[in-house]
Amino acid sequence: MNPRALLLWVGAVLLLSLGSEDPVYRLLTLVAALLLLVRWRRPGVRLTPIVWWIGAACTLGILFNFVLSHTGQDVIATLPDWLPAIGGQLTVEGAAYGVDVALGLGACLLAAAALAAVIDSQELVDALPRQLQRTGAALGASLTLIPRLRQSFMAVREAQSMRGWRPRGPRSWRAVAVPSVLSAIEGSVLLAEAMEARGFGSGRRTPAWNWGWRKRDVLVAATSGMSLGLFSLALILGRVGGWQPYPQLQLPGIDWVPAAACLLLLVPGLIA
Amino acid sequence: MTTLARFRNFSYWYPETDAAALLGLDLDIGDGFTLLTGSSGSGKTTLLRALNGLVPHFHGGKARGEAELLGQDLRRMTPRQMATNVSLVFQEPEHQLVLPVVEQEVGFGPANLGCSAKEVRRRVEDALATMEIGHLAGRRVSAISGGERQRVAIAGALAMEPSVLVLDEPTSQLDEQGARALRQQLERLLGLGISVVAADHRPHRLPGAVDQLIPLSSGRLVAAQDPPEWPARVSGDRPYGEVAWATDGLAVGHRLPILEEIRLQCRRGEVLAITGANGVGKTTLLRTLAGLLPPLAGSIERLPGRMAYLPQDPGALLHQPTVLAEVAQTTKWLGLDCTPMPLLQEFGIEQLLRRDPRDLSTGQRQRVALAAILVGNPPVVFLDEPTRAADQSAREMLVRALDHLAERGAAVTVTTSDHEFADQVGDTVLVAEERNVRPRRRAAG
Repeated sequence: MNPRALLLWVGAVLLLSLGSEDPVYRLLTLVAALLLLVRWRRPGVRLTPIVWWIGAACTLGILFNFVLSHTGQDVIATLPDWLPAIGGQLTVEGAAYGVDVALGLGACLLAAAALAAVIDSQELVDALPRQLQRTGAALGASLTLIPRLRQSFMAVREAQSMRGWRPRGPRSWRAVAVPSVLSAIEGSVLLAEAMEARGFGSGRRTPAWNWGWRKRDVLVAATSGMSLGLFSLALILGRVGGWQPYPQLQLPGIDWVPAAACLLLLVPGLIA
Repeated sequence: MTTLARFRNFSYWYPETDAAALLGLDLDIGDGFTLLTGSSGSGKTTLLRALNGLVPHFHGGKARGEAELLGQDLRRMTPRQMATNVSLVFQEPEHQLVLPVVEQEVGFGPANLGCSAKEVRRRVEDALATMEIGHLAGRRVSAISGGERQRVAIAGALAMEPSVLVLDEPTSQLDEQGARALRQQLERLLGLGISVVAADHRPHRLPGAVDQLIPLSSGRLVAAQDPPEWPARVSGDRPYGEVAWATDGLAVGHRLPILEEIRLQCRRGEVLAITGANGVGKTTLLRTLAGLLPPLAGSIERLPGRMAYLPQDPGALLHQPTVLAEVAQTTKWLGLDCTPMPLLQEFGIEQLLRRDPRDLSTGQRQRVALAAILVGNPPVVFLDEPTRAADQSAREMLVRALDHLAERGAAVTVTTSDHEFADQVGDTVLVAEERNVRPRRRAAG
């Protein structure tokens, strides 16, 4: 996918997820994000770990709200008051609001994951405006630190275990953690040195890869732009109603303008 | 001969060190092919870094004296400014690759120089073809072997089309094909008037016609010495003991087999050397033999007890504040009752006992890592590219150490792209190729 079209789509998902608390709109954007990841991810990118980690974050969000809010009229259970923070009533409304938060969080995280799973960091950097490219390239390079750290951790654990190391309590992990982190930092310094030696930051960088605008890229960009426009208009006109489950749970209201904006975000996933 | 670089009373100290990495250099480097020689820690890498201004601009520290390249003051010009003229390939390829896909990585430098997209593509294609790695263009850097990464790094430097190419240990991980391709390319570049400055512990793999030899020792220029003769195989006939490990119908790989139907064994007292081209699966085979990867098919029988394993990157082992503590750590973990000093002397690192292993040169680190895994005479040993960045004396020490280990009854398995080393150290020499491992004809001499 053309990275600029993808950036526009991600921007639309973020606006729609964060611009309204309506769970219907959030659910639609989450489905759109998931569909895009399923249909557009690069070969070799595994969906399971992404979904697992984002699912875990969303589940935690639901749980936190459920046990910490204590607000609402429909009580499911009551925890003893002497329990710090979580003591009190557990309500249907608290759980419902947790689900709403999780839907928004999930949509945003899936959209961010699409930036890494659908295109390469280099494509992303080249898609940024010229003024942001230096920052973007540094960010792109720093993103490689995460897989480096993971690889380094695996290699160190392997090497140390062959040398007699066994995990015996938290302190024993120092023998693995210290060389992993040192190797990753050392690697980052060497990487920075290599980038410097290869002229990075000399201010004349040109995008190395020009991606054409295919019909479907144009369609992705157009529908994302329309979605952004429609939703912004709905915000200005006050047609994106807020949704609050408290004090008693009620169904969310739906307006056709923001709903249409959400449906437009499904287009990239449907045309892949 | 035109003067390319000029150093006058040039000295350099890395930050927070008292010992000078380069001391009082008075040196003119001419155009053509210049070869830096010297043992590990002699200052070769620092001098190469000084040639494009990384020393002192990137590293900091103190620099004194004069340094010029192509008439430009290296103490004023930054590496970024020098990048249009000087292209540097570092010693450790895994730490210099910036972008995730091979063709993007090779195009990173030209893109930074402001070349048009069309020009970048042309240079990428040329450089990949030159290094004979066109087939890797779309591969992810994380999924290729160490030797292939070295070729990608060199291709990245070539794509910048510099007037001076600076190479630090460029053949340390290259197989014969890669080294031959590099040598031919360097000869072609020299013919085109591009100057090459290189340091390599195996200079015979670089162009034979050296215009200038710069021998260094402890950061100083010293008199040139004849390269030591590469001795023939040193190990004698040792009696072999019981089978330490044996495979039957073994297939190795990650999900898909890259080597299969492997039937091998190694007996105690034997040194088994496995060579092969970059990316053929040597490391995967070694890790499977050592029990670090599950076999995809077939079986491996091993003697029970301790196994020692040296990974390709010695940094994976080093975490103690001193060399002595690093080696002592193994004895502590394994509950061994032995003194590490004889082994440290055997590897020539007894002078470095109080040094932080991570402050040492790559070759010295490798020796510390070897000492850390070999302390206490392990009965089964697996070594992955143990001669990486090793100078001649370190290689000879390693050969002797492995011979002693085998004499004491260890079964030693080595994977290496260094054919001379394999021939010298191996009682049995095998080659991994065409998805299998088979006996290799030993080189004459």
